[in-house]
Amino acid sequence: MNIFKAKKILLDIVTHGILISVALTCVFPVFWMISSSLKTQEEVFSSMSLIPQTGIATWISNYRTAFVEANFGVYFMNSVFYTVVGVFFIIFIASLASYGFSRLQFWGKSFFFYLLISTLLIPIPGVFVPLYLLLKKLSLLDTRTGLLLCYISNGLAFGIFLLKGFFDELPKEIEEAALIDGCSRFGIYWRIALPLAKPALATLVIMNSLTIWNEFLLALVVLQDKAKMPIQRGLMVFQGTFITDYPLLMAGLTIATIPIVIVYLLMQKHIVKGIAAGALKG
Amino acid sequence: MKASPKEKSLNFLFIAPALTLFLVFSFYPILRTFQLSVFQWNGIDRDMLFVGLAQYKHILFHNPMFWKSMLNAGYVTLLSLTLQNGLALLLALLVNRQIKGDNIYRMIFFLPPVLSGIVVGLIWKFVYDGNFGILNHWLISLGFVQFQDFAWLSEIKTALTSVAVVHMWKGFGYGFIILLAGLQTISVELYEAAEVDGADAWQQFKNITFPLLIPIFTIVSILTILGSMQIFDLIYSMTRGGPAGHTHVPITKIYEYMSNGEFGYSTAMAVIFGMVLLVVSFAQIFISKKLNYNNK
Amino acid sequence: MFKLKTLVLAQITLAFAVCLFTGCETKEPKPKADIVIWHWMTDRQAAFERLADQYFKETGVRVVFETYAPTDVYKNKISAAATAALLPDIFNPMGDRREIASYINAGFIADLTEDMNRDGWKDIFFEKALAQNTFEPGNEWNVKPGIYAVPLDVNSLMIYYNKDLFTQAGLDPENPPATWPEFIEAGKKLRAANIQPFVSGFGEGWLIGAFAQSYQWNLFGRQGVLDTIQGKIPYTDPRWVRIFELFSEMRDNKLFASGIVTMVNKDAERTFATGRAAMAFNGSWGVNVYQSMNPNLNYGVMMPPSLPEAKYPLLLFGGEGSSLFVNANSPNRQKASDFLRWMTQRGPQAQLAKETLNIPSNREVAEDLPPILRIFSENIKNTFEQLPVIETWQVINFININLQSVIIGERTPEQAAKEVQGEKERQMKVAK
Repeated sequence: MNIFKAKKILLDIVTHGILISVALTCVFPVFWMISSSLKTQEEVFSSMSLIPQTGIATWISNYRTAFVEANFGVYFMNSVFYTVVGVFFIIFIASLASYGFSRLQFWGKSFFFYLLISTLLIPIPGVFVPLYLLLKKLSLLDTRTGLLLCYISNGLAFGIFLLKGFFDELPKEIEEAALIDGCSRFGIYWRIALPLAKPALATLVIMNSLTIWNEFLLALVVLQDKAKMPIQRGLMVFQGTFITDYPLLMAGLTIATIPIVIVYLLMQKHIVKGIAAGALKG
Repeated sequence: MKASPKEKSLNFLFIAPALTLFLVFSFYPILRTFQLSVFQWNGIDRDMLFVGLAQYKHILFHNPMFWKSMLNAGYVTLLSLTLQNGLALLLALLVNRQIKGDNIYRMIFFLPPVLSGIVVGLIWKFVYDGNFGILNHWLISLGFVQFQDFAWLSEIKTALTSVAVVHMWKGFGYGFIILLAGLQTISVELYEAAEVDGADAWQQFKNITFPLLIPIFTIVSILTILGSMQIFDLIYSMTRGGPAGHTHVPITKIYEYMSNGEFGYSTAMAVIFGMVLLVVSFAQIFISKKLNYNNK
Repeated sequence: MFKLKTLVLAQITLAFAVCLFTGCETKEPKPKADIVIWHWMTDRQAAFERLADQYFKETGVRVVFETYAPTDVYKNKISAAATAALLPDIFNPMGDRREIASYINAGFIADLTEDMNRDGWKDIFFEKALAQNTFEPGNEWNVKPGIYAVPLDVNSLMIYYNKDLFTQAGLDPENPPATWPEFIEAGKKLRAANIQPFVSGFGEGWLIGAFAQSYQWNLFGRQGVLDTIQGKIPYTDPRWVRIFELFSEMRDNKLFASGIVTMVNKDAERTFATGRAAMAFNGSWGVNVYQSMNPNLNYGVMMPPSLPEAKYPLLLFGGEGSSLFVNANSPNRQKASDFLRWMTQRGPQAQLAKETLNIPSNREVAEDLPPILRIFSENIKNTFEQLPVIETWQVINFININLQSVIIGERTPEQAAKEVQGEKERQMKVAK
């Protein structure tokens, strides 16, 4: 074995060592959540063991009760709808705008950009009150559209900020060549810029899905009709004013976490595949 | 290339949908809220009392607790900018080395941001618990007997740092995926060329990775600043601002005032806080532009 | 080749898609509700729904309960709905008296005095509970005197103690400490037996404040408490310093469970239920909570130990637990009030008490409660008296923070008292 190879193996061991130790801290809460979801209320806090003492009957009944009591059948689909539609429009509108901000010239460009960005910075306590009144005026209270429009609008500033950063870094040469070939600006955006920005788009999909999936204050304030409520409304059932039903809550949380993990798994592939983007850089 | 006026107005169509939605559903409500900052109002009374800038004056000069909370958030932010982002970068670089199982790591590192705040709060309270906590259990078995009964979240010296650690743990996944996305856009050929020139790993990092990542760093650090300065959920679930107010941050202060019916005053606080964030963020953008310029 | 036309087209599609969503709103037929109630008590929704069904069978009036929780979300929803004049028939603004007064003065809350006087409705309640929903003549917010809300249940805060742990430490489980020195002694014995003596959710300001207030009444009496709020007695009074000292005394004798200053009550309840602390300062709802966490817990309840030097009786934090208000602008105002009247009668109250293990606001029903809850309900009469004025929230906040500060040894009792007095003087200046 030559010294070069030995060095590489050593380096790999150190690398895995670091990665595994960080990974363990990330995995532990997940195991705890799942194991708690399989226990009884008494057992959750009397035994710290990760292995539940209950039988499979309790496991099934916990998950079934959680699913039924939280009305997940309805809420789950609502959340999927809000997330899919919301994220789609955020990505589309934000990428369009950020491409504009990055590449095109128009009046008031930096003014509008900084206006957008500045709202990222200011926390707004009680903004739901004027928002509520606005939705009432537009007859959008207690509608899916109203809630979605709020979600989409909330996601724009961040999306534009992130994507503009990426677009600014993408090589302009291909686009200029395409422009000379007679391609329209929209065509360039759609066919060249967007595919190149895939890693950033995937990142945005992940982050916005997470935000919308977990959002709950706005949904509860804007919506009345239970048939339109998102999944977080279901989780609320287990956290009583006085009593929190931990096993059911954990079962509900486990169910609610899975879709986001799936979105992440699907999207992170695209983060890896964006290598072509840098082809002309340097 | 100079754009013609006609082209300019057509270009505007790119941002028109974003701008419309934004103006109606974000900007207008914010403006309406900010209007309140010059009124004394509890959110319910029929009449609002116009007080001009009196509430601003009060916050600036007579509310030391608010400024204390700002310093607390600043401390968490400073830790996050260095430690959290350092960790995120290190992990992104390691995973990017095309090692075995990189897919699994990639998945696992994004678990903390995905996890519900409820689970995170519960778990970490178990870790920090003075009597039955995992942390003290380990410390004592390592021979640090003085940590018997030491309640990490209830001691002035450790409370804020303990919360900050959880915050960083929950947040590094974001920096990790953005940095990874950034690393992926750097062409492999650049490294191959550097290797041919005999550059070692450190030189490659210094001369290729780092300069090309500067814009991504800017994004990540601004996100970190925003996320850490506006930290709220974790504080609320772990310490409620205690012990004796030592972990209060601006958002918990703002909510405290709002939930006590001080609508006007709390929005004035939000405006001042927003201004501070604005200055910090633009300073950050300015610095990184300079850095970027120097590197080119 | 793409033209700008495409861009325009895309935006039209977008606008169209948005319209489409509006169109696809589900409008399924639902039974029309006569009375809509917004509440925050997630753990009672099932019991409420059963009552609503029963009421529908008896009267044909359909009542719908809708939950929004946690309470801060609920409170936000109420305040947004109030500004848009979209409040439901029955709700609760979840505020202190000052905020309730604003709702009343803005015309959102109905005056129920007449209904309460009819057929002796008001006589069925615990007096303390009703008093808290009443505004007296000459109240500081100029609210028209009257009764404005219906209490559903009542509660009081006392000290639970674990009998098994008491025995283990050599204490008599049937004779818990009655005075402060005995309490401290008991705490020392527990600590010596390696048991955490005392736990409570002192990370939540109101709970640490509630404990201190019991001693405020103990040392000051009604007039003294009133004078303090009105600024005639300063917080630097030796009796207030003594109150702060109680906390440093408990700390010095190692009575507090680890991490008590940042502990929320749900964690404190867990600590007590799992036998990790021998005493817990908590409300009567604890009976239900402990039942769910550890049905075998062997415990009793005692009054907070009074101070030997005190001249007045020690009173308890408590009174009305959850109350409901009727929307003054509701077209169903009378129906709503009638439903609440029905809710507080013997049958429904007994059912609620049984299902949720709370103390009903109806005095007669409270007589049939299980023994531990009986002790709480008998002590409702010993809860704080309703005063015509309240302390500003800022000062209350300062008291709570400084109590924590004394526990962690950051400030001495004297310094803490001085801090609070400083804030009191600032607030009095603002009020002028």
